[in-house]
Amino acid sequence: MKALYLFITQRQARIIVGGVLMMSTMAATGQTVAQELKADPNRAAGSFYALPIGKMPKDTPAPKGKKPFYINHYGCPGSYYREMESIYEEPYAVFAKADSLGKLTKLGKDVKQRLRLLCSDAKDRIGELTPKGAEQSRAIMRQMVERFPDIMTPDGYYSCRSIVQNNCLMTLEESLVQLSSMMQPMRINVTASHREDRFMDPQDKVLNAACWDSLTLAHYNRFLALNTGNSRLMESLFTDQNFLIEQVDPEVLSRQLFVLAGSIQHTDLANLVTLYDLFTPAEIVGHWKKLNAKYYIQNGACALNGGTQPFMQRSTLRNMIHMGDSVLKREQPMIHMRYVNENVVMALACLMELDNCGIQTGNLDALADLGWVTYRIAPLGGSIMMVHYRSEKGDPDVLVKVLLNGEEARLPIETDCAPYYHWEDVKRYYLRKLYRYENIRLNEEAKK
Amino acid sequence: MERMKKTIYTLSGKALVISGLLFTFSPSYAQTVRDLIIKKPTYASCNYDTYPDSVPNNLTPSPKGKKPFYISHYGRHGSRYISSRSGYDIPFKMIAHADSVNELTPTGDRVFDEMKLVMNDTEQRWGELTSYGKIQHRAIARRLVERFPEIFCDNAHVSCISTIVPRCIESMGVAMAEMKQVNPKLRITMVASQRNQWYMNHQDRKLRKNYMTPEAQKAYNTYISSRLGNSRLMELIFKNPDIVKEIVDEENFNYYLMKMGLFQQNTHFYKNTYLRDLFETDELYRMWQIDNALWYIQHGACKLNGGKQPTSQRYLLRQLIADADSCINLEKPGAQLRFGHETVLLPLVCLIGINGYDLATDNLDELEEKGWWCSSVFPMGANLQFIFYRSSPSDRDVLLKVLLNEQEAKLPIATDCAPYYHWADFRSYCLGKLE
Repeated sequence: MKALYLFITQRQARIIVGGVLMMSTMAATGQTVAQELKADPNRAAGSFYALPIGKMPKDTPAPKGKKPFYINHYGCPGSYYREMESIYEEPYAVFAKADSLGKLTKLGKDVKQRLRLLCSDAKDRIGELTPKGAEQSRAIMRQMVERFPDIMTPDGYYSCRSIVQNNCLMTLEESLVQLSSMMQPMRINVTASHREDRFMDPQDKVLNAACWDSLTLAHYNRFLALNTGNSRLMESLFTDQNFLIEQVDPEVLSRQLFVLAGSIQHTDLANLVTLYDLFTPAEIVGHWKKLNAKYYIQNGACALNGGTQPFMQRSTLRNMIHMGDSVLKREQPMIHMRYVNENVVMALACLMELDNCGIQTGNLDALADLGWVTYRIAPLGGSIMMVHYRSEKGDPDVLVKVLLNGEEARLPIETDCAPYYHWEDVKRYYLRKLYRYENIRLNEEAKK
Repeated sequence: MERMKKTIYTLSGKALVISGLLFTFSPSYAQTVRDLIIKKPTYASCNYDTYPDSVPNNLTPSPKGKKPFYISHYGRHGSRYISSRSGYDIPFKMIAHADSVNELTPTGDRVFDEMKLVMNDTEQRWGELTSYGKIQHRAIARRLVERFPEIFCDNAHVSCISTIVPRCIESMGVAMAEMKQVNPKLRITMVASQRNQWYMNHQDRKLRKNYMTPEAQKAYNTYISSRLGNSRLMELIFKNPDIVKEIVDEENFNYYLMKMGLFQQNTHFYKNTYLRDLFETDELYRMWQIDNALWYIQHGACKLNGGKQPTSQRYLLRQLIADADSCINLEKPGAQLRFGHETVLLPLVCLIGINGYDLATDNLDELEEKGWWCSSVFPMGANLQFIFYRSSPSDRDVLLKVLLNEQEAKLPIATDCAPYYHWADFRSYCLGKLE
């Protein structure tokens, strides 16, 4: 906790207070989470929501004479099958057993059939990009090329990278094939190597250990208990209380059903099967809240565990800054595209304090009101793009704008031309932030 | 031809280089393995050999009145880094140990340094596709589209399946991106799923467990006994080869260091041939013989273990036939491309009997003279392309030809139009073999 306060300089405090005020007005005018979930319950899947590719987002015109010359992109994989086979098989096993003992209601029997469909659809596809994910990846790339005609040209140099993992790698390949159909000739370098894990899939034992310390865990468990009520759902599915008591963990089963409900959107079963009908709107919001809180503790600047989890991505941010400087001398446009796990994008958005992602609070109940909402931060197909602008090579006043899932994002930095920011200010702010944290770590290690 | 081979074999090294050059303009069957190794030392490393940088454009024109309409393909990933550390660790630990007791000659010091470079370069890249591997797949894909424009026309469907191994997925991706460069209007789909592993990368545990029968082991031991070891290399690298034998196993050191040197040609170290050049042609050649015999026992129709090893690819062959059956019914089937591994491609070639690779023998000494040369089948990027021809969708007499590494291949089936074969004949021949 002490460490947390060290970060907050006066200027930051001003920004945070300002930000909170702004958000509260936004929440009043914009849609609330409950409304958004009602409009599309698939959002309740959190970071497992498939980012829809709608109309091209509007770009605020760049200040006069400035043109984009470099894009640094960190993207989530497209829609994919869940990575745990058990999420499909365990709930089905419960229903199959209950059915064999005649303990299912009519609805329960129907759910059992639906679960069987989901299991066979996911069979031998664990963690793989779905056909919808392939389409989505191509659509995103098409929109990106059309959105940035000044930079996405055959003159550009495309450096495309992925972590070594099926869903990210296939997202990269699909994007690449799409790019190739729109760009001839194409100068490209494609790599998927464990060599680059250090900034694309960083690990940090100290932060991992700090994430779920006993205080945080106790707090989170209390939050779960306060938001849990599964008896209505269980009674709608099972006929026998004794069976429920002896054979079912209602909390686990309803969570699994909820996760599966959110996974269907990625598959070809999307318009054929649903599980959201099992839940009331209030239950959907409740489950989402629990999931959201968990992601916040793991990736956000949560005050409960010291607020340092976003620093997991410090080498990623440092690499972004380093690249921004090293491309300054290039004549030709350059595009860096990297496909990483969605939690990397999420934590990076928090570290960069994009929009409301930098929120620091210990009040897990307040996340929705404060605007820390997973499906707005790092859905599947989501991305962070830093676009660099200049008037010509050697322009001392490079500007950047950051797109979060394609939309212009607010940075915690003062500017006279929002959503554009002066590169020198951006760099200074983030480097200071990184140095402060790294100094704390160095001091901690020196004490040992 | 036999006589010719023997003559060349006895010629001196210099004359061999010249004859090697001459032979680039003459049919390849006149060459010996030793010639090939002189021309391209990596040929000696069998499955670690690199794909040729260029391929002669000598395809027979389409049969009269018929046009290519469908391609079915199985290709190996391109050049990769070595799959695991163990192959490099064996010689590295030995030389490191020798270094720690001050037993390296000045050449040995240099060798040790070069090995460290290779180890550092490969660290965290085990099994990954190299940039050379990507270049190979781009070139193969481009040639495929350019050679068969009738198939890769606008809106043609190109359906790709890769094994779930990242280097295969990457090979597929760069190949497809390249095809889009040639024709942006292709309709490409790509899948890399566990669902297809049962035929895309089938490793038959039972066959694999039983390939080294006592008879095979005996024959193999006899065959390799005179070919292992390298005292010249030991003297070059170690101050006291006799003393160092306590910590350096000569046979293993020689074998794995040679592999390391040849493997480098797959990475961006390809210009550095220092390790490779430590070895003389005959040493490389002996290693090729050792490996070729082992590959034959593992995947060929070797009589020493019952000759069933190639049937490990029965599912793949059935799938190829089933896919072709259904595609022939379509007006414009396009292409079906599969990206996998050499341990699938080699037994598949043996199973079908392409270019005589169905050779069945119990005499390992026969392999070389009868042309069972594994390196010609499965270098990095190796591929098998089945090109189908017909005059129109209603034409019942579909023909096909098989390209092994983009060169027309022979099948053990009677035909009146070689290198083309009647699909009906090929189909019944293959299904007969599978029964």
